[in-house]
Amino acid sequence: MLSSLAFLLVTALIACASASSDYYERLLLRPLPQSTVLASFNFRSNESADAFEHQNFRYFPRSLGQILQHARTKELHLRFSLGRWDAESWGQRPWNGAREGGTGVELWAWVEAQNEEEAFARWLTLTNALSGLFCASLNFIDATKTIRPVMTFQPEGHHANSSNLHLLHGTLPHEVVCTENLTPFLKLLPCKGKAGISSLLDGHKLFDASWQTMSIDVRPMCGPDGRDCALEMEQTVDMVLDVDRSKRPRDNPIPRPLPIEEIECDTTKGYNAGDTCYPLDKSAEPAWNLTEIFGRPLKGACPLTDETGEGSYPVCINTPPERTIEVNTTGQYEEAKLASDTVRCYKLPTGADFDLILPQQRMTTGLILASPQLFAARSINGHGQERGSVQAVIKNPSSTHAVEFVYLEALPWFMKPYLHTLRARVDTSRENPVKETYYRPAVDRKRGTHLELRMVIPPSSTLTLTYDFEKAILRYTEYPPDANRGFDVAPAVIRLINPQSVDNKGIYIRTTSLLLPLPTPDFSMPYNVIILTSTVMALGFGNIFNLLVRRFVGIDEVQTGDAGGLQGVIRGKLERLIAIFKRG
Amino acid sequence: MALISTILALRKDARILKLPPYLSALCILVGVVWLLVLPLNEYSRNTYVSENALLPGQVHTYFTGSEHNIFRAYRHEVAALADKSVPDRNQRLSEILRSSNLKVATQKYSYATSGRNISNENVYAILQGPRADATEAIVLIAAWTNMDGEINHSGVALVLTLARYFKRWSLWSKDIIFLISGDSTSGPQAWVDAYHDSHSPDTIEPLSIKSGALQGAIAIDYPAGPWGHRYDKLHVVYDGVNGQLPNLDLFNTAVSVASGQMGIGCTLQRMWKHDDSYKERLQTMLRGMISQGLGHASGPHSSFIPYHVDAITLQTVGDGWHDEMSLGRTVESLFRSLNNLLEHLHQSFFFYLLLQANRFVSIGTYLPSAMLIAVNFSITSIALWVASGRAGKLPNPASTAPPSTPGEKSTSSPSKTTPMTLAEKDGALALIPTELLQTTERALFLPLAFVLATHFLGLLPLYIFNNTPSTYLSPVFNLVALLTSLLPFLTSFGLKQFSRPTAQETTLIQCFSLLLLGMFLAALATLNFSLSFLIGIATSPLTFVRRSNNKAISAVASLLLAVLNPVVVIRAATFFFGQDLVKVLVQAAEGWHVWGLWTQVVVWLVWWPAWFAGSVVASEGLFA
Repeated sequence: MLSSLAFLLVTALIACASASSDYYERLLLRPLPQSTVLASFNFRSNESADAFEHQNFRYFPRSLGQILQHARTKELHLRFSLGRWDAESWGQRPWNGAREGGTGVELWAWVEAQNEEEAFARWLTLTNALSGLFCASLNFIDATKTIRPVMTFQPEGHHANSSNLHLLHGTLPHEVVCTENLTPFLKLLPCKGKAGISSLLDGHKLFDASWQTMSIDVRPMCGPDGRDCALEMEQTVDMVLDVDRSKRPRDNPIPRPLPIEEIECDTTKGYNAGDTCYPLDKSAEPAWNLTEIFGRPLKGACPLTDETGEGSYPVCINTPPERTIEVNTTGQYEEAKLASDTVRCYKLPTGADFDLILPQQRMTTGLILASPQLFAARSINGHGQERGSVQAVIKNPSSTHAVEFVYLEALPWFMKPYLHTLRARVDTSRENPVKETYYRPAVDRKRGTHLELRMVIPPSSTLTLTYDFEKAILRYTEYPPDANRGFDVAPAVIRLINPQSVDNKGIYIRTTSLLLPLPTPDFSMPYNVIILTSTVMALGFGNIFNLLVRRFVGIDEVQTGDAGGLQGVIRGKLERLIAIFKRG
Repeated sequence: MALISTILALRKDARILKLPPYLSALCILVGVVWLLVLPLNEYSRNTYVSENALLPGQVHTYFTGSEHNIFRAYRHEVAALADKSVPDRNQRLSEILRSSNLKVATQKYSYATSGRNISNENVYAILQGPRADATEAIVLIAAWTNMDGEINHSGVALVLTLARYFKRWSLWSKDIIFLISGDSTSGPQAWVDAYHDSHSPDTIEPLSIKSGALQGAIAIDYPAGPWGHRYDKLHVVYDGVNGQLPNLDLFNTAVSVASGQMGIGCTLQRMWKHDDSYKERLQTMLRGMISQGLGHASGPHSSFIPYHVDAITLQTVGDGWHDEMSLGRTVESLFRSLNNLLEHLHQSFFFYLLLQANRFVSIGTYLPSAMLIAVNFSITSIALWVASGRAGKLPNPASTAPPSTPGEKSTSSPSKTTPMTLAEKDGALALIPTELLQTTERALFLPLAFVLATHFLGLLPLYIFNNTPSTYLSPVFNLVALLTSLLPFLTSFGLKQFSRPTAQETTLIQCFSLLLLGMFLAALATLNFSLSFLIGIATSPLTFVRRSNNKAISAVASLLLAVLNPVVVIRAATFFFGQDLVKVLVQAAEGWHVWGLWTQVVVWLVWWPAWFAGSVVASEGLFA
């Protein structure tokens, strides 16, 4: 009954709404080396610009929509990330890195405003509202953490009037992404994690992943003639699951040593014996299924997805054609093979659990992973409390193409770079790789450093970028109140200009964040000093004040008896006055 | 007021100048006794873990079962590499680490010291914490050869096994770096230098992969061969280069995990038997002080400490019933503790003397000892300055005794009649000895030039010993011993030819020399207590040396000082401790070029000039 109702609803929607106002979701699974699996969830909901203006929200979440309208935000990109993408083993990043952020939280948006002040005020409104919506500390993105990138970010949407759009960008590298951010994320989806591929998203597994990123992108999309505009919201979740780790039951997650019978030993070794075992690499692809690695079953299709066309096959898996895949479901499903059988997509049954089972299998062919265009690593060199240097190593693996890119560095104000020490060297040529520099120096406690460099790396070369910096000494209230290991420096963002990406999203690479240990006073010591000096001051002050103010008079000098009371006091004062005048 | 005027009057009293030698002697005495009472219960404390986050021994360890089978296999693999060349060895080690899905890299390094070429290769692997953000890392080290040159079979195998085992856990909040260094001293030094980018790029390869800020390092030294060896105790080595020490919390955590959780006894400073008696506590402390004073690298961990990375080495000793798995579980538990750290280790002590595995003396308690010894030189130096400003011995005008006793040899004229001057002020008349009214000029040029030249002269042996090839070190040492022993006599003989220095200049030479010595030692005491104390004791006779016109006294003093010549002391110490002199000198040169050792600077630029000045003063009497 429910499914037929949903069917009616979907057909009604297709009939009434324009083609752009639809909902689309897709899960792409891709096994990676070292028994890991990349799971890319992609959800897209459109709302026509007209309906959005009239606050007529259908698939677009009302909570987010109203925030965007209130803050006059035309395009929004929000990222929650955790862990590192291992480019050496896993190859190119999903979505070419355009749907991921640096460690922690990253937010950038194009805000409509007449001038910079207004834009910043609206930006603060936006961050504060999003902070409440996503249970993240986004409200801590203040002026010191906000930059206005010049070359690194380009709008993805179609903006009719781009002259009064302001791009603002902020990061919180120390923010720990966790379940409380996932719940509001899922609530924005039309099926809210109850059906469709979003029913697989479980906080325990998502945050145990080796790498995960959640993103929200809102952009206006228009037809080719600049009409039929719609506001498109794209939500993605990308995660790399370690198959062995994910398969461990939740009540027994400890990786105890396996019984020796379950370990494959190398029997060709001379010393191989009952108590000696050289472990062999598991050459076979490990067995896994959706329920095991995501910790919960896929609860059938989301009824809002299309019945036909590409969008009706929401679960896809990218494996060599020889890989055995079994489907376990009580409902009806369909399988479609794409891209010369390397991608298999499934139409989900409605109202019935769906599971993909991949048995253990010895493979003869492997998947070819696309190599990333650049490798980037960044680290802090030097030691001590006073200064250090940052070194970024960017490698171009291609033997034929030079790569042109923009390198964006947003540093906190207490990390003061010396621009004259900035050196960019390429190991294969003597030419200066820096083509263009945009630099906005920091102002203490007002704003951070903003550095953008446009650089070119020749083929198969390594570019080393270094600069020295000085660490500022903070005021004691500026240290975090609790135990801290230092301050986090936001990851550098690299955007490739040439080769260009095929879509308008761009190709991005982010480095890891850095830990900046600042000179930290021993807070217990000033506390002790304050207490001790206060005590000494109190004792000393009391005594000296007493000595200075109190008048010591001999007992026989004190007037006694008759001159007491108010009369005596007045007379005493008078006598003193007279004495003063006489002396004068 | 009365008190102040009494003190001011006392200032003019000749007797006040007699006091400093006794005061200095008292300082030395109290300083030494102070050190001797430290092992008593009243002056030392039990160790405690100060950083709450560490929670040592609070986790179950699971490194058992089939991991033992794998460990044995890895130990055979390591044994098979013993005769291989360095590149072959590291290629195989890289293969094993890579099969555990770690990021592996190698680093070549070479150092040239004492005419030798130390070149080898480090191999290291990084376990990227599954949910970590690459900002922090902890290091597990096994040097291929330990400090005694034995191949660290089981240690390397244990690191390989632990790397495979740790990879399965998802709870790491920091990256873990597994480092198999080519040797125990220069290998870790090259690696940690390159990690902080303070290496010389010509001879040391930069690191191709890096992680975040290092938070701690644990080295394993377990040289049992392919068939294993059960050990009795863990020897915790904690001395860093230049006597720097790791945070006491790290040491405490190791001891607490090993003895509390695993039941493995811990020992330190090669005290294999320790019954916690006064004598053994004192012995442990003195061994620790000598090791700290020498400032040499005592294990693979030593190179990390100058970079403020707290590090210790766990060394297995003796014959007992503990096996490699209990060591593995100790390391596992230790890493779980370090993994808990929210901040860099900073809570506990960085300056301490350990008396046994869980008893220590903190800096506040022991520092006065070295400071008192340093102060004794300053006191004498001030006294000598005052003395140099007085023309000679004056009779106390108020004294009724005869001005000079017959037995006393006095430089001033022994005549009974002192020239007097009549002074008049406000109508009052007074007779004052004329000498008191005359201002004595201090001739500063010669003493200052002499002391400065002496200190610069120290650069010569410093350079020679650090740059002589090892084959010539022994003859060069003997030559330097001979030269330095003769030099004071030659110098005072030479100076006498110009009928210099005068008595005042001699006093001033000694004054400046002791002033510098006192200042250096006081400053050094805050950096390396033990070195300051040891040099303070060795130079303490310099306080009491005076120029004497008696040839016998001068000869005895010169002879005594000749024995205290730093070169002779070093020779005697190596003989006493049964060390090979050339080996010590080679190590010192390696320390200078590789580890950044400063001990020889202190020896040649602080100790030796002070001794030289003292010896010249003493030997002047011989040529009087």
